[in-house]
Amino acid sequence: MPIEMSAYKCTNCGQLHHPAHFVCVKCGGREFEPIPLDEEATLVTYTRVYNLPEGYMKPFISFGIARFNNGLCIAGQLETEHPAAGMKLRATVGTVKEGIGQDYLGLIFHAID
Amino acid sequence: MREVGIVGVGHTKFGKSGVPFGHLLSLAAVEALDDAGIIPGEGHGVDQVIVASMGAGMINRQHGVASALVDSLNLRPAMAETVENGPASGASAVKLAFMAIASGMADVALVVGGEMMRVVSGWEATDFVATMLHPEAEYNYGLTLPALAGMFTRLCMEKYGIAETDLARVAVKNHANAMHNPVAHIQLVPDLAAITTDEDALIINPYVAEPLHVYDVCPVSDGSAALVLCALDIAARFKHKPIKIAGIGQATDTHAVAERAVPTDLLAVRLAAAKAYAMAGLQPEDVDVAELHDAFAILEIVEAEEVGFFPRGQGHLAVRSGATEIGGKIPINTSGGLKAKGHPLGATGVSQLVELTRQLRGEAGGRQVVGAKTGLAVNFGGFGNNVVATILTKGEE
Amino acid sequence: MQIDKLEQSLRPAEREKPPYPAKYITMANGQKLVVHQAVREDVPVLLEAVRPLIGVAKDFYDIVAARLYAELLGWYRFRVKDEYCLVGTIDGEIVGIVNGREVNADVGMSYHTMAIRQGLRIGAQLFAAKMEYHLDFLGEQEVWIVAESPNGFKRWMIEYELEARPQTWHELGGVPTYVLTQALWQKHKGAKCGGRRPVSDELLQTARQMILPQTYAQLPGWRR
Repeated sequence: MPIEMSAYKCTNCGQLHHPAHFVCVKCGGREFEPIPLDEEATLVTYTRVYNLPEGYMKPFISFGIARFNNGLCIAGQLETEHPAAGMKLRATVGTVKEGIGQDYLGLIFHAID
Repeated sequence: MREVGIVGVGHTKFGKSGVPFGHLLSLAAVEALDDAGIIPGEGHGVDQVIVASMGAGMINRQHGVASALVDSLNLRPAMAETVENGPASGASAVKLAFMAIASGMADVALVVGGEMMRVVSGWEATDFVATMLHPEAEYNYGLTLPALAGMFTRLCMEKYGIAETDLARVAVKNHANAMHNPVAHIQLVPDLAAITTDEDALIINPYVAEPLHVYDVCPVSDGSAALVLCALDIAARFKHKPIKIAGIGQATDTHAVAERAVPTDLLAVRLAAAKAYAMAGLQPEDVDVAELHDAFAILEIVEAEEVGFFPRGQGHLAVRSGATEIGGKIPINTSGGLKAKGHPLGATGVSQLVELTRQLRGEAGGRQVVGAKTGLAVNFGGFGNNVVATILTKGEE
Repeated sequence: MQIDKLEQSLRPAEREKPPYPAKYITMANGQKLVVHQAVREDVPVLLEAVRPLIGVAKDFYDIVAARLYAELLGWYRFRVKDEYCLVGTIDGEIVGIVNGREVNADVGMSYHTMAIRQGLRIGAQLFAAKMEYHLDFLGEQEVWIVAESPNGFKRWMIEYELEARPQTWHELGGVPTYVLTQALWQKHKGAKCGGRRPVSDELLQTARQMILPQTYAQLPGWRR
């Protein structure tokens, strides 16, 4: 089964959140249900970072913030050579950081050909 | 509520420290005590000590820093707390000292901000600073402050027509100011053409986080700064005429930057400044000199807009026109700013108020803004999710 | 100096190397960094430039300075084969030194990179100039590199994506060897290697003065 990333929907008012909040930003509700995120998103902004923090043995990593069709804006790693604001992206889930004894999963955006 | 003022300032040379962390804090502290004319020991009169530091525990493996400092300075039995509020720790500490005095719990307070970051490598420092980002939605991805600043810069450039050269102009201005500030970390004025248009510009000024270059980003610095605050009703005890803390405002914003409704806004800056103006009964046009948190060049431009110096989208035009230079309409970062003076996280908010105090006292030497009576500081925590604005005013002559 | 038979037998047979053509790079503060090739007779002054840093443990200056000193002395006394040295100067003052050796027509051996003046990314420029000498002017196919500081590892191994080749023994010892191949150089040199040629006679004359630094930021309070 492919691993999915979730949005968190307030069971009271339907407001979507990502990342998870403890209290709904709209109605104050405290119960949420996970909703799978769409695969498609639109790139809002991006950067390629060269001065990486401790733990990365690469010359650079690209990041982007993408808007999903449900309106949520989420940051993730960006794997495309020629990013441009407004381009369509496919969101996948993969290892975004290798930890000691534990790898971290997160969103990785790819260009849709 | 009692009125509160600043009667003592101290500031170490920012850069590489070479002394133990406690010693570094003490250096600025004793300078501020001396400046105020306070003699430690019996009857010193200091009721409250607050130390601001973001990384003492994580980088220096030291907790209870304020308790240690009180003893080291022979200021027992003063009340003491250490404050951690990210890069806004300094201004937060000043706010808490203000509250202690305004409430009547204390008459005199010593605030010391300090950080010793150069004991670790640049990439460890980058990692440590990034721990204030959202753990799951940002930090675990490898996102850092420069990464968020890069994405924010790109949005602002696209929306308002800001050029990379405009960012470099901010750096050149602040470095030029720092040449007149003996405590500034970097004593070097970049050449605008060399870092922007020269054939080798991208090699000597490479990208850190596109579109931000090395010269758009503040350095990693050690340093400390200190203030002595007192109730204005007892200020006659001290050597210096007090500089009044006329207004303080603070506001927070979403933790995950991607969640912000208008991604080119720095809402917490706007709200914090509005509160500070309201408390002081002043307007943006009343401000003569400002210290704005330019950890990244774009922040000086957008903060200048959000605090009301310029309309939204015109901050970069003001930089081009020279309006933010010393002698311009509203001089910004006369100290050199974080960009050139350096950014020892916990020290920065205190350092900004040291600079404004010196400006309002008329002690700023070659960087003096003539006749400055009102100063505004913005201390920016996280990537703008916790911001403190402080307004200082000079009393009537 | 008379060279007796015994001394003659101690000296390596040197290969004729094409010279490194001097270049200049405009630094962030507008000053011009001139990179030119030192000749053997320059070594005594270079040793004096390096010597004060032998006692600086911070950022591994001590090991780099001590080894660079020994390598330069080895070249001066004819005890290292096919060594070369490039010097960075600003307004004639020595601000950085890099050195290495040609192993054979295909392989270069990078020795050390020392930035004396800090804060202008001089080390990065000089390292790139050294790689340029090996791969563009000496026509070698690869350069063997080790790092002695974490900063060096970050700057060279990670930023140039160097190929790990731990089975290859570098002359500086057992530190794992990394290799800059022609292919990696072609990929990265556009972003790493700057500079303009030719250098005017006037600028080159100034560079060749090789004025010793009077102070070192690494040694607070020290004066020559």
